[in-house]
Amino acid sequence: MGVVILLIMAVGVVAMLTRKIPTAFALVLLAVAIAFAAKAPLTGENSVMDGVIQNGAPLLASTMIAIILGSWLGKLLDETGIAGTLVRKIVEFGGDRPVVVALGILAVSTLVGTVTGSAPAAMLAGIIGIPAMIAVGIPKVTAAGTILMGIAAGMPFELPIWQFFSTALELPVDTVRGFMLKLFPFALAAAVLFVLVESRRRGVEHAWALKSAPARPSQRERRGDAPWYALLTPVIPLVLALGFELAIIPSLLAGILFALFTTTRPGEYGKRLLRTLYSGFEVAAPPITLFVAIGMLLAAVKLPGAVSALEPLVKAVSPDNPVLFVAVFTVLVPLCLYRGPLNVYGLGAGIAGVLIAAGIYPAVAVLGLATSYNQVFGVADPTSTQTVWSAQYAGVSPQQVMVRTLPYVWAVALAGLCVTAATYL
Amino acid sequence: MTAALPTAAGPAARLAAVDDIAYGAELLASTPTHEGRDPELLRRWARAATEFGSAMAPVECRARVVESSGGLALGLLARYHSRPVPTVELFTDTIALAEETIDAYGWRHWYPAGSVRAAALAHEAVHERLHHGPAKRELKQLLGHTVLRLGRHRVHGHVAGADEVAAHAYARTACGLGRSPLLLTAALVAASSGKEN
Repeated sequence: MGVVILLIMAVGVVAMLTRKIPTAFALVLLAVAIAFAAKAPLTGENSVMDGVIQNGAPLLASTMIAIILGSWLGKLLDETGIAGTLVRKIVEFGGDRPVVVALGILAVSTLVGTVTGSAPAAMLAGIIGIPAMIAVGIPKVTAAGTILMGIAAGMPFELPIWQFFSTALELPVDTVRGFMLKLFPFALAAAVLFVLVESRRRGVEHAWALKSAPARPSQRERRGDAPWYALLTPVIPLVLALGFELAIIPSLLAGILFALFTTTRPGEYGKRLLRTLYSGFEVAAPPITLFVAIGMLLAAVKLPGAVSALEPLVKAVSPDNPVLFVAVFTVLVPLCLYRGPLNVYGLGAGIAGVLIAAGIYPAVAVLGLATSYNQVFGVADPTSTQTVWSAQYAGVSPQQVMVRTLPYVWAVALAGLCVTAATYL
Repeated sequence: MTAALPTAAGPAARLAAVDDIAYGAELLASTPTHEGRDPELLRRWARAATEFGSAMAPVECRARVVESSGGLALGLLARYHSRPVPTVELFTDTIALAEETIDAYGWRHWYPAGSVRAAALAHEAVHERLHHGPAKRELKQLLGHTVLRLGRHRVHGHVAGADEVAAHAYARTACGLGRSPLLLTAALVAASSGKEN
């Protein structure tokens, strides 16, 4: 039976890879097929209807709320001009030295990456940041890669991600936070190295172009500079969640209120809050859809029938020696690209669920594995929305960005796996 | 990308009616960080960058020069890379289209035969000079964009796109062109997108 479930998963991966079915729909179909293969009853406890669809859909509800709040805060950063002001100030102060500009925009991307993820994060930092970097001579691929590496450096502190791994892997938020703190220095070092090494290797580029800047999604009016104290907004949720160990949702709400109070006239509070909240829903729709589907998949792979069928198979192929663990999972890194089977926002979440449910590795080791892969997926996957957006906006292909960034994020994954093996195995 | 050459006199006259400083200000306006800035301020910066570029001492293009096709697809006429070795890439298809456009618009008296290639080399030589030498600081001082004031001390900020305006102004002076290459760029944008202005 385990083989049948693996075959179903393989079919799902092919469907996602070939883009025959959108990832979220493919995951729902996978969940239902796995449940049937695991001989789950149609209704009742541990059933297809109740156990997988009814209970699985809201399994990651806390993550979905965190995503909505992150998207809301992201919209506020955009509408109040906070993100744009940060980038403009960096260009004005450091424009003579392209590397300084790139490092500054990397820092902005990192901050934005702690607030929200995916394409909205790339757009927040990149809409002004990418053409600004190109204007001071940073080559296009380096400019796109800088935004992505920055977002990935902020990812260990992205509160919705803490919530996701906490719920999906049934781990306390403290544990997730603890591992993320260990992962962050590697992600940051890789991001800074990317800018320094790529600047050294590629130098600067200036062109007599027929257009002075890449085509923008929409010709936006400058919204004026936000006051300097408003620029602290992205660090507010972080300080509260990290420094004061406040829960994720109130931390994000505090960031939203700080952005509002420091940039908006009192008479316009309600209007701005509502407008940005509704826009935030639009931004949050794709990840929420995905999290509904992942919840169902997690519920399916944790069904008793699925666990007992998969346990011997997964046990047979999973390395238990720490060195082998690092070696094997480092070699498998490319399998999280192109919506591959180790993508944590796809089948990878299901595999993580199997590894925990079958007791192959402790949950915290699976956290290390999944977050290490997430660092790769978040930057280099040519099918992930932030990579596609950044590359296309810079005027290059996502594959070019993947080739340039992959060595750096692969090294981050290796470091994350080493920490995992040394600490938890 | 297909190129449709405009032949009517109307578009040529309309494009030529806009002065070089206005084209410089337009280039700055479309450069990020200047969204919504006062048009008068942009015009002032464009004038300062133009004067700086026009007054620059002759710059020798020391970079390696390579020629290739494919510029129209990239939307480029020329490109300068500082690494691995300083190189100027000239895109022959875009240069050819520029020469054809000059003839079609009746602008040969402003842009003599072969001047587009020379202007491209001059333009990229300025980028090389601004990248490696102290000239960039001089341009910044001339633009006078204050980003921080501490008593009597002022910190001048970088004006994105000003080096581009300066490079075009230098190319115009160095190659003895009647008008800035910015006018030619505006015509090429229309020609390369197949639209008539």
